[in-house]
Amino acid sequence: MGNMVCPNFKVCVTPQFEVLTQDQRQQIYFGALEILARTGAQIHDERTLELLQQNGCQVEGTRVYFPRALVEWAVAAAPSYVTIYDRNGRPAMYLGGNNVYFGPGPTNTFHLDPFTGERRKPLKTDKADVARVVDALPNIDYAMDLGTPSDVTSTLADVHAFDAMVRNTEKPIVHWGFDVEQYEDIIKMAAAVKGGLEQLARRPFIVLYSESSPPLVHSKEAIAKALYAAEMGIPVIYTPCVMAGATAPATMAGTLAITVAESLAGLTAVQLLKKGAPFIMGGVISIMDMSSTILSYGAPEFNLLQAALAEVAHHIGLPVFGTGGCIDSKVLDAQAAAEAAQSILLSALSGANLVHDCGYMEFGSTGSVELLVLDDEIIGYVKRIMRGINIDDESLALEVIDRVGPGGHFLGEDHTMAHFRTETWFPTLCDRRRYDDWVAHGSTSLEQRLKEKTQAIIRGHQPRPLPDHVLARLDEIVSAAEEREAAKAKKRR
Amino acid sequence: MSNFESLSKAVIAGNVGQAAEITKNALDLGARPMDILNLGLLPGMAVVGDRFKKGDMFVPEVLMAARVMQSCMEILKPMLVDEEVPSAGTVVIGTVKGDLHDIGKNLVAMMLESAGFRVVNLGVDVPPEKFASAIREHKPHILGMSALLTTTMLRMKDTIELLEEEGLRDKVKVIVGGAPVTRDFSEEIRADGYAPDAASAAELAKQIVGFSVSS
Ligand code: B12
Repeated sequence: MGNMVCPNFKVCVTPQFEVLTQDQRQQIYFGALEILARTGAQIHDERTLELLQQNGCQVEGTRVYFPRALVEWAVAAAPSYVTIYDRNGRPAMYLGGNNVYFGPGPTNTFHLDPFTGERRKPLKTDKADVARVVDALPNIDYAMDLGTPSDVTSTLADVHAFDAMVRNTEKPIVHWGFDVEQYEDIIKMAAAVKGGLEQLARRPFIVLYSESSPPLVHSKEAIAKALYAAEMGIPVIYTPCVMAGATAPATMAGTLAITVAESLAGLTAVQLLKKGAPFIMGGVISIMDMSSTILSYGAPEFNLLQAALAEVAHHIGLPVFGTGGCIDSKVLDAQAAAEAAQSILLSALSGANLVHDCGYMEFGSTGSVELLVLDDEIIGYVKRIMRGINIDDESLALEVIDRVGPGGHFLGEDHTMAHFRTETWFPTLCDRRRYDDWVAHGSTSLEQRLKEKTQAIIRGHQPRPLPDHVLARLDEIVSAAEEREAAKAKKRR
Repeated sequence: MSNFESLSKAVIAGNVGQAAEITKNALDLGARPMDILNLGLLPGMAVVGDRFKKGDMFVPEVLMAARVMQSCMEILKPMLVDEEVPSAGTVVIGTVKGDLHDIGKNLVAMMLESAGFRVVNLGVDVPPEKFASAIREHKPHILGMSALLTTTMLRMKDTIELLEEEGLRDKVKVIVGGAPVTRDFSEEIRADGYAPDAASAAELAKQIVGFSVSS
C-alpha cells in the first residue's frame, strides 16, 4: 500500500466548499474596482481626502473617485496574513489563508441574563463575565464585548467595556470605539498591559474595527479611526454592514461588489498612510427581510454572501472578518441551534479568518453568553469535520483489520487505544446517553445543560490577573478619560 | 365598474403605467374622480395593506403600490376640491444627533408617504435645534425621531426638552423609534408614541392624526 502510486489523487485533508469560481471572484473584485472608479465614494474626513487627492484620486468636494491601479496597489501593499498575539505575547491567531478563528460580536443593545433569563440593558460586570466565558471556552479564540454597557458614562461605554475585558481574559481582544479619542484611551490601556506602545505594535493583542455607512459613504469617525489605529501600529478591520435590497441591490452579486468596494476604500486610505499596515477586510452582509425589515443574521443568503466574501478576500490575498454563530431567534430554541450551526459550519468551510458575532441573538439586538457557550460546542463539532480524514498506513489499519479478522472486535486493540481519543470528538453539551441513564441524570434538555454550564463558568473561571501596577495604570487611564468627558459635558451645558 | 377593479389590480401589481392609463381612460369616459379614488385606488391599497400584514406582500411591493397611488393622485388632484384630496398631514422626521443610521428612518418616511403624509426628511445627525426650527418652518402634525444607538437615543429627550423650553411641545405630536427604543423609554421621555417598525409607524401616525383632528 505504502509504495502504491495513485494518479490524479486529489489531496483534501480539510473539507472545503466553494460558492464562487475563480472567474466569479475576479468579476466581483473588478466590479468593486469599477464602483470605486466610476461611482466613487463620499468621504467626510479632511485628512483622508487630502491623502487620497495627493495620491491620484479625483476629489470633488467630499466625493472621491479612485483610480483602479491605486486600489490594486493598496491590495498588493497590505500583508496577506496578520498575526495576533494573546495578552501574554504568545501568537494566538494567524489570520490569513483558510485559517479560521471564532469569537463573539460587539455592542449589542440588550443582554440576555444567563441567571434570570431576562433581556435587559448590558452592564459593565456583564463584560467581565463575557471575557471570562471567552477565556474558559476552548473553541473561542478571542474576545469582543457582546453588548454596550449602560451603567457607565455613555460616551465611554467602549473604554469601560475594554477595561472589563482586558482584566478578565488572556485571549486577544477585538474592539471598537466611538471616536479617535476613545481609540487613544483603548490603545493606551493595551500599551500599559504590554509595557509600551512599541511592544504593543510588535505583538498586538488587540484589533480595532470601524464601519463605513453603505452605500459608499465613509463617516469622519469611521475612516479617521481606521487611520489612527493603523498609524499606531494596531491591526484594523474596516467593515461595512450591508443590506441587500436596502443599502445595496437586491442581487447577491451587486451586494458583494458594494461590500468589497466599501472595504477597499478604507484599505486604500490606510495603505497610503502606512504602507504594509495590517488590514483585515470586512463585511457583515445579508438581506433585509422584506416583511420585518430586519437585517437577517440567520438567512441562507447571509451564509452564502459571507462565504462568497471570504472567497473574494482569499482571491485578492487579504485576511477577512467573517460572521457566524449568530441567530435571528429570540430564544435558545431549535431555530437558534439550526441557525448557529449552519453559519458556523459554512464559515469554517469557506475559510473565513476572524469569524465574529458568536452569541448574537435577535439579529444582533441581544447578546447572550449562553449562545456563546452553545456556539463553542458547535465549533468543536465543526472543527472535527474540518480536521477531515487522515489516510496513511497507520490510519487505514489494514494490519489490525487482518489481525482481528472476520467476527472479531476492535475494542481491546492497542490500535484503538492509540487512536480513538484523537480521532473522535467528545461532546460536552449534546446528550448521547441511553434513555434510562438520561432519565437518571434528570432528563435534561440542551437548554438546561447550557444554562448549567454557562453559570458554572461564570461562577468558577478566573483567568490570571494582570499585575497590580498595570491595574493601577488602567484605573488612571479610565479616570483621565472620565475627567475629559465630564469637562466636555460641562462645556456643552 | 370593471375598470375600477382593474385599477385596484394595477395598484396591487405596482404597475404605474397601466394604472395611469386606466385612470385617464376612466376620466375620459366620464367617471367621477372621487369614484376613481374610492372605488379603484383605495381598495387596491387596502388589499396591499392586508397582504403585507399576512406576509404575502413585501416592503418593496408596498412602496411600489404607494407610488402607483401617488402618481394617479397627481392626475386626479386638479379635479378634486381641497377637502377631497386625502392628505393625512405633515411629518418632520430625522435621525438624532450623533447617529448615522438612516435606513430604518427612511423606510418609516416612505411608509408615511405611502399612507398619505407629506414628509420632511431632515436626514441623519440632526441636533435638537434643527428639529425645533423645522417645526417652526413646516408646522408638522407629527415629529418623528429615530435613534439606533443607546447613546444617541438620549438626544430624543434633549430634543423634547428643547421643544418644551421653546413652547413648541404642544404644537406637535412626537413619535420615536429605532432598535434600542422601547415603549417604556418613549413614555419616560414623554413622547406621544412609539412604533417598532415602519408599518406600525404609519398606523400610529394615522391614529395620532385622527385623534388630534377630532379632539
Ligand atoms: C446597518 C447598521 C449600521 C450601518 C448603518 C448604515 C446606514 N446607512 O444606515 C453602519 C455600518 C453605518 C453602522 C454604524 C454603527 N453602528 Co450600527 N447597525 C446596523 C444594523 C446592523 C442594522 C440597522 C438597520 O439598518 N436595520 C434595518 C432597519 C430597517 O431597521 P431599524 O433601523 O431598526 O428601523 C426600523 C424600526 O426600528 C423602526 N424605526 C426606526 N426609526 C424609527 C423612527 C420612528 C419615529 C418610528 C416610529 C419607528 C422607527 O422602523 C424601522 C423600519 O421598520 C444594526 C443591528 C440591529 N440589530 O439593528 C446595527 C447597530 C444599530 N449598530 C450598532 C453600533 C454600535 C454601530 C457603531 C457604533 C459601530 C462602530 N463601532 O462604529 C456605528 C455607529 C455609527 C453612528 N455614529 O451612528 C449597534 C448599536 C448598539 C447600541 N445599542 O448602541 C447595533 C445594534 C449593532 C449591534 N448589535 O451591535 N451600523
